[in-house]
Amino acid sequence: MNVGVDSVMDQLFERPQFSIDQDEKSRLLAAEMSDLVRHHRAGSADYARICDVLGVPDHFDDLAQVPYLPVSLFKTHELRSVPDDEVFKVMTSSGTTGQAVSRVVLDRETAGLQSKALSTIMRRVIGNQRLPMIIIDTPNVIKDRKMFSARGAGLLGMMPFGRNHFYALDDDMRLDVDGLQEFLRDRKPGPVLVFGFTFMVWKYFLSALAESGTTIDLSGGVLVHSGGWKKLVEEAVGNAQFKATAAELTGLTRVHNFYGMVEQVGSVFLEGDDGFLYPPNFADVIIRDPETWLPAENGTPGVVEVLSVLPRSYPGHALLTEDLGVVHGIGTAESGWSGKQLEIIGRVPRSELRGCSDTHAFDTGRSA
Amino acid sequence: MTAVSQVIPELRAVDLESVLDGVAAAPVVPPFHASRRDFVTDLARRLGRRSAAHPESRALAYWMRKAEVTRMEAAFAELGTDDIVLQPRGTVFHIPPANVDTIFVYSWAMSTLLGNRNIVRMSSRATDQSNLILEVIREVLIDHPEVARSTSMLTYGHEDAITAAISRVSDTRVIWGGDATVNRIRAVALPPHATELTFTDRFSFAAISAPAYLALDEAGRDALVERFFNDAYFFDQMGCSSARLLIWVGASDEASSDFRQRLRSMVRTKGYDVPTSAAIAKIGQAYRGMIDADAVAVDSRDNALTVLDVERFPHVRGEFCGGGFLYELPVERLADIAEDIRRADQTLAVFGIPQADLRDFVGRLTGRGVDRIVPIGKALEFSRYWDGYDLFTEFTRKVTIDSGGVS
Repeated sequence: MNVGVDSVMDQLFERPQFSIDQDEKSRLLAAEMSDLVRHHRAGSADYARICDVLGVPDHFDDLAQVPYLPVSLFKTHELRSVPDDEVFKVMTSSGTTGQAVSRVVLDRETAGLQSKALSTIMRRVIGNQRLPMIIIDTPNVIKDRKMFSARGAGLLGMMPFGRNHFYALDDDMRLDVDGLQEFLRDRKPGPVLVFGFTFMVWKYFLSALAESGTTIDLSGGVLVHSGGWKKLVEEAVGNAQFKATAAELTGLTRVHNFYGMVEQVGSVFLEGDDGFLYPPNFADVIIRDPETWLPAENGTPGVVEVLSVLPRSYPGHALLTEDLGVVHGIGTAESGWSGKQLEIIGRVPRSELRGCSDTHAFDTGRSA
Repeated sequence: MTAVSQVIPELRAVDLESVLDGVAAAPVVPPFHASRRDFVTDLARRLGRRSAAHPESRALAYWMRKAEVTRMEAAFAELGTDDIVLQPRGTVFHIPPANVDTIFVYSWAMSTLLGNRNIVRMSSRATDQSNLILEVIREVLIDHPEVARSTSMLTYGHEDAITAAISRVSDTRVIWGGDATVNRIRAVALPPHATELTFTDRFSFAAISAPAYLALDEAGRDALVERFFNDAYFFDQMGCSSARLLIWVGASDEASSDFRQRLRSMVRTKGYDVPTSAAIAKIGQAYRGMIDADAVAVDSRDNALTVLDVERFPHVRGEFCGGGFLYELPVERLADIAEDIRRADQTLAVFGIPQADLRDFVGRLTGRGVDRIVPIGKALEFSRYWDGYDLFTEFTRKVTIDSGGVS
């Protein structure tokens, strides 16, 4: 089978998201990955060297054979597959002071693919209309350049899916209940879009409502959130409780988490109705056994590898993350959510190696 | 009044100024004074009994045992003459690294033996092993009030003012740590007469003669591999002296693959655990190395050991993953890498290379690195010579006596 680049990419964009049967999707993605590996080998000397050392073939029938890069490589090396004059922008991940940040080189083509992909994915749960949008954040997150971060970038990526944006938090992260009621009163009848980072939605929106004894009516709306469960796990809050609380206090029953990273912007994994995260048409996931690094059985936790056919300007099409996850099974097209059913468990726990070099507390600039 | 936490001699909050006054009032005693010898050997005895679960503490106790202290005393005696008397510096301020539990004891015990007063800035990071060591030191100090008076170990945060206050009363300051740590502390003034020792980030490597390795029988190969394992994996390969690069002198694929296979099974036999985060860090190191170190092949068939084959000396002295990662470089003669040695290079652990070749190699290194060459298996063995310093002379000063001919 010889599938041209455009035909595969066209199919992935044009067919409804989360509709392609896993076997067919694996074939489509493997064909596209073969082209992508050739493309990045030709465009990036660093990537070519890695492929040469690994003895990578130039065609793949199986996505698990595609060489993955450890995501940390983007923190130490600026990997690019396009000439300097085609660089449109360099995205960086957030990081606390002194921590290395990822640098992701974008050209116009890749940036375009990313925003087009995100849009087709989000339409699956938001619909085609731009909805009145409540942002669970402070306006400063995009105004203040010093605060500008993955949080700001993530928000900017989501804003086009809404209109009449209302920021629900003030600079001190206090919920503006009066303003929110006014916003809801003034809008035309119909659903709203609520977006925020998972922890902030829980802490500054849902918990704030609970503490003030207020409920608001957002029924018929949709809540999209992202950013990880780490802080909520510390508070022993899981997805079920999160959703139940949202339904109880706001009437929001369409609640969708998503999983994505700065190294693969656009092809985010979206939470289906059953609570699992599903890869969109452009992406897939492989759980790797942390001893053998071979694909793990479904149901067995391991290290998350993510694949995306969007990255053209940098070789980020197959990445070994530092997250632990498990694939519980395969969804069906009939349920509206086909593809692998991913659960993210959290970050791989850091173990402290010893040594006599630099982790002394005198080093303010480095994290141990 | 500045409150700090004291961990030695007693665990309690203290006022910094009164601690410094107290230490300053304690007497300095001659090197290898009986009170100091007895203290160190008592400490060795008690630590040896209690450190069954901690190999690093066992090694530390062994290094402080009576026979070793006696040997050190004899070696020290040879430094003095009728005209030269070695006296303690006075007050030594030790700033050990946060993450090797035993380093602070080597530095402090050596200085204590040589008669100094000592102040140690302890990391607040506590492990089972560091807690055990501190507990044993506290117990032993009860029977050695003279040493207790002249010793204080403190923990405090990022407070340069406290570092400055301690530095003001110090005659020698010892800093272990990375470049950033050293630079930051160096900016804090010392008294004009004071001296400073810095132990910074280092790079260490090993060299094995391939013909000598192949000449070993099975048992001999396993014994060498075990010694190499101890050198490399003891501190998760993160010690300054742990080899990161293995050089095969007289290249041989047979020797290299036999060695790797034995090392992998040694890692398993010893039950050395590579946690997933360390395994991921090793994958990251391998990929960085493929780009930065001209790698030609990678061997990472399991988490026990990752080997990156390189054709040129890998100038990769910075960030390192540890946990079982080696660069391997084949050369014809050891002298072939002399040009690649840098000042940061510390320990060369060797097997099967004649003394004359090692002397020839060192002769080519003028003004650059390699501070010690040791047999494989002794890379982590602490001695008075470290990073090019002789601690016997650094922790003392020489008083010269010329009576003008009057005997």
